[in-house]
Amino acid sequence: MRSFHPGASKAPMKFRMPTAENFVPIRLDLDIDGQRFKDAFTWNPSDPDSEVINFAKRTAKDLKLPPTFVIQIAQSIQTQLAEFHSYEGQEMHIKEKIVPLKIDLRVNNTVIRDQFLWDISNLESDPEEFARTFCKDLDIGDPEVGPAIAVSIREQLYEIATQSISSARETRVGKKGRRGGDIVANSKAGNMVDLGKLFGSKGSVIRKRKEWYLYEPIVDILSNEEVGALDAREELNARLKRKLDEKEESFQTRYSHG
Amino acid sequence: MASTSPPPAPAPVLSLPNPPRPQQLAQPPPVAAVKSEVPVAEPRDPPASFSSIPPEPSPAAVAASYTITIPSCSGWFSWDQIHDTERRILSEFFDGKSASKNPGVYKYYRDSIIRRFRGNPSRKITFTDARRGLVGDVGSIRRVFDFLEEWGLINYTPSAKPSAKKGEMGDDSEKKEAPRRIYIILCARCFVRGDYRPGLSSTDFKRVDITEETKADWTDKETIHLLEAILQYGEDWKKVAEHVGTKSEIDCVARFIKLPFGEQFLGPEEVGEYGKPHQKNDKVVTVPEGENVPEQSVSKRMRLTPLADASNPIMAQVAFLSAMVGSDVAKAAAQAAISSLHKVDIAGGNNASDDRLWPAASDGSKEEGYKIKLSSYVEAVAASNGQTSSDVLNEAVAEAQSQLKKEEQDVEQYLSDVVQVQMKEIQDKIVQFEELELLVEKERQQLRHMKDLLFADQLAIMQHKMQLLSKGNERGEKVKQTNHVPCL
Repeated sequence: MRSFHPGASKAPMKFRMPTAENFVPIRLDLDIDGQRFKDAFTWNPSDPDSEVINFAKRTAKDLKLPPTFVIQIAQSIQTQLAEFHSYEGQEMHIKEKIVPLKIDLRVNNTVIRDQFLWDISNLESDPEEFARTFCKDLDIGDPEVGPAIAVSIREQLYEIATQSISSARETRVGKKGRRGGDIVANSKAGNMVDLGKLFGSKGSVIRKRKEWYLYEPIVDILSNEEVGALDAREELNARLKRKLDEKEESFQTRYSHG
Repeated sequence: MASTSPPPAPAPVLSLPNPPRPQQLAQPPPVAAVKSEVPVAEPRDPPASFSSIPPEPSPAAVAASYTITIPSCSGWFSWDQIHDTERRILSEFFDGKSASKNPGVYKYYRDSIIRRFRGNPSRKITFTDARRGLVGDVGSIRRVFDFLEEWGLINYTPSAKPSAKKGEMGDDSEKKEAPRRIYIILCARCFVRGDYRPGLSSTDFKRVDITEETKADWTDKETIHLLEAILQYGEDWKKVAEHVGTKSEIDCVARFIKLPFGEQFLGPEEVGEYGKPHQKNDKVVTVPEGENVPEQSVSKRMRLTPLADASNPIMAQVAFLSAMVGSDVAKAAAQAAISSLHKVDIAGGNNASDDRLWPAASDGSKEEGYKIKLSSYVEAVAASNGQTSSDVLNEAVAEAQSQLKKEEQDVEQYLSDVVQVQMKEIQDKIVQFEELELLVEKERQQLRHMKDLLFADQLAIMQHKMQLLSKGNERGEKVKQTNHVPCL
């Protein structure tokens, strides 16, 4: 067991996911010839590259997608993996931090909202186990909820981990600078919880009762009409956003050469 | 003796599948037949056996609307356990290298996938279906899924002919030929009892009399060949007959049934069969002496197939059958055979009933020697299964210890329950005190408020007083002034 030094900042270590298994969250969102394919899952980056193309083929076959998807899926996965690998050589600076994580998902008919505190310096933490326990404790019927929760937690942890890399910080701000730095600030990493204040002499480990409702998970089952309505709205938003992105890109390219 | 006509087509049967890989495993499944399963329970249909080993009683729960079949090479599967096959092939979960890949996770994947498939067995479950419903990294899930699919635990339809894998994992679960006609041979007893697979009925069986023993006597060499071949090819009578060479398929079958080994293991019930152990004695004589001692060392070497040395076919047969029924039954049967031998001794000897079977028979005078030999190789059999009396004692000790442990655990459990209850009490008290505190706090505030009010009142009164006093002084002066004027 590691000894616990409250408040001490750890020596910088090599980049990795702050979880027991160094898995990467992969998200796919492809739109080819009017057909939309969205998916999210957890990938083991030490699997060989042949796995990627096999997985893409198998997924396309299982879901009866046209073969043009296979290449796109494989490329998307490989891009995300490459990004992950590109962080790997660098150093992470992680202090003893407890961060609030949020879950706000809709999976088929189930809506899940929750927030909780997560210790990112605990390298043995296991989002998969959390997701499994969550679904078991709350008796969630749909088996697709578990993986979605695990992926969501991993994504947030991934973001925190990448932000703690000092060298990456400047480049990212530069990239998004035009859109406004607030995007970086509003990221899910949120505000760190000060351990000293929380567990110091005035605080106590037991949460105040009036705050309980904030940390209680909410699970809702929607009817099919509501699901249909939400889907339609998301579709619309996505389309608008895409149009906006395209416009902005063309704007930039046009005027950046000025 | 009866043999069947080829069973009707819909009953999917496999002869002994020979999975190329598991030579390292325990003996290849000696009895064929697809095991039909009911989704709820895990009954095993009685294997159609070719000797009179009593099959396990089939449970009454076969009345499902559909049955799920798995190939017999995957018969080891059970919900409660993880088999060595699984440990070997999916070793990533069992080598302790990563904290979150452990047997519990493997069991979760395996059970979820199989349950999901069996929820709708008419439809093949795809990998994407499975991985979308499981929490974990898709690489591991894929490996578990592929394993289950290859071993026919999911997506298995017996009528389908699987394409031959290139031996990547080498775990083909089926033969590549079409399902073949199987001859199931039962002795009259089993037939009458109805101990054959549920797919068959008594009309499927045809009576075959084996009378052609006199056609050609079986020499020892042929018997040895026969036993070898059976060990090697199992129920494939064609190959067995080839191996033996001089006998036809039917002859081989008949001969094998007549070999008394199977009967011996019914020892406890079949007291009338004491003729058979005698024949066994005769066989011991015909075999070169001194076999038993080397066999014991051999047995220690080959734990899995004890005494399967083909040079001693009797031992091989004994080993084979004892491995099939398990060591306890074998031991019990052997002991019963010995005790019935004693009875036979007392009764004054009894020659073998079928002399024509054993040309070298009628050595009644050598019974003593036979008994000794019998007991010695019974011990060899028992030893080969690793059981001696001290072992039995050890087992009892272990049992007692485990019970003790259980008691301890129970006590601990109770203690922890008690502690829990007490903690809950304390927690309730804390809650109550909190409420009390709140109330007291409120009261305090109210009091303070009242105090403030009082203070304000006091101030007001004082002010009034001052005003009145000052007014009174003024009037007093005015009055003095006005009094003076009228005197003038």
